[in-house]
Amino acid sequence: MKVEDLLSQAGEWLKGTGPESDIVISSRVRLARNLRRFPFLTVASASVRSEVEKFVRVRLENGKLPRKLVYWGLDDLSNVERTLLVERHLISREHAQAEGDRGVAVGPDESISIMVNEEDHLRLQVIRSGLQLDEAYDEIDRMDTALEGTLNFAYSPRFGYLTACPTNVGTGLRISVMMHLPAAVLSKQMDKVLQSLQRLNYTVRGFYGEGTSPLGDFYQVSNQITLGKSERDIIAEMKKVIPEILKFERSWRHQLLSSEPKRLEDRVWRAYGVLKHARRITSEEATELLSALRLGVYLNLVTGIPHKLINELFIFTQPGHLQKVERRSLEPDERDTVRAEYIRRKLEGV
Amino acid sequence: MNCEKCHKNHATYHLTAKENGVMKEAHLCEECARQAGVNLKFNFTIGELLGTLMEPAKGGTSKANQVRCPECGISYSEFKTKARLGCANDYEVFRTELLRLLEKIHGSTSHAGKTPQTVDAQVRIENELMRLKRDLESVVKSEDFEKAAQIRDRIRSLETELNKK
Repeated sequence: MKVEDLLSQAGEWLKGTGPESDIVISSRVRLARNLRRFPFLTVASASVRSEVEKFVRVRLENGKLPRKLVYWGLDDLSNVERTLLVERHLISREHAQAEGDRGVAVGPDESISIMVNEEDHLRLQVIRSGLQLDEAYDEIDRMDTALEGTLNFAYSPRFGYLTACPTNVGTGLRISVMMHLPAAVLSKQMDKVLQSLQRLNYTVRGFYGEGTSPLGDFYQVSNQITLGKSERDIIAEMKKVIPEILKFERSWRHQLLSSEPKRLEDRVWRAYGVLKHARRITSEEATELLSALRLGVYLNLVTGIPHKLINELFIFTQPGHLQKVERRSLEPDERDTVRAEYIRRKLEGV
Repeated sequence: MNCEKCHKNHATYHLTAKENGVMKEAHLCEECARQAGVNLKFNFTIGELLGTLMEPAKGGTSKANQVRCPECGISYSEFKTKARLGCANDYEVFRTELLRLLEKIHGSTSHAGKTPQTVDAQVRIENELMRLKRDLESVVKSEDFEKAAQIRDRIRSLETELNKK
């Protein structure tokens, strides 16, 4: 499989088919792991780094693992390809931009990926469509256990899995639920949601993780605590918190619908109009408008647009995808024109 | 600690910033932090978050800050600036300091999750290695070189076993 082939498929998590997918885009779990016999990457020399990569790569490609993985060394990829992997949530932005030997192994439907030599030697990740935390954890747990057969992870009975940053030590488990919360934003309730989540030790981030601002009303909620609780307990707590947010978002959606139906309809249809007819559109504007359209689609104000299509448009209108679809590099200015064309083409067939 | 600005509420935001090369600190309550234009939601990195949780460096001269890990060579004060440890052994070398930090971050200092299936074998080998290395020292001191050679061979074979994975 080549990076290009990702364009002809959409990734399981983008399908919009999982439970609660009117609000929850995806459930992501990740495990941080380090090899016992190598120093962490913070102090690793270029040659140690390279040794770690080779050592892990062979085992990811040829080991007896529950999923067949394809491995890409990140320095063998172009800038655009690395950007595409970031947009697809298969690697982090930091991993794309870092230097030195590093890579990523990806499973067939993109639901599993393993970054090698990111902040820790291994970062395993599983993404599922909608709210599927147990399913996602089961899959990552199977992969982790299989990897234990060929890799000795740094582990201490007291502190658990040892990580470069103490914020990840213990289970090494970070769960992130990506949600679309346009009604919370429109009803000016988002601050309250954020505050109560912070009080419960959850962090909230934008679409592309750490340090990114919320765009298009997408929010990613993650657990902060990784030590002192079992994996199942961390998941169970998350499974109590998320439905509360869903309940509020749904009630705000219906409140908007009953109190100001015309204003909401107008917002949705204007967004649809611009997306359908614009000749130039920036990534930010497209995301904002797609967010309004997505709300309209799920409230049945606009019919006939498949959920999968709207989810895909968020990703395929990002710079990396756009350039890969066009098979050439595009100046930012040119991108806006191509993006508008792409969206028009996709919405025309609807 | 009370807020430096209103002197009324509890300071929950401990901010650090570099100004003309000098580290400055501010301790504010949520309300004053908001008024000061601090974005309370998104604009912090894990490093900054850790910075606010860690003990203030006592001029960087305190003894604990200077101890270096024999395996990776970093000191606790270097960890404080980078917010990243250098190797697995650091968790033992900086145990006391880390226990305090982990309590603040996680509200706990003990793992309660998954145990690798291979860990029992691994711990057993590590324990035996530790014992053999002590034995080696004492037999070398007593100049029992035949015994020392035997122990060294055993250490080598155990280390190979441990490093296969």
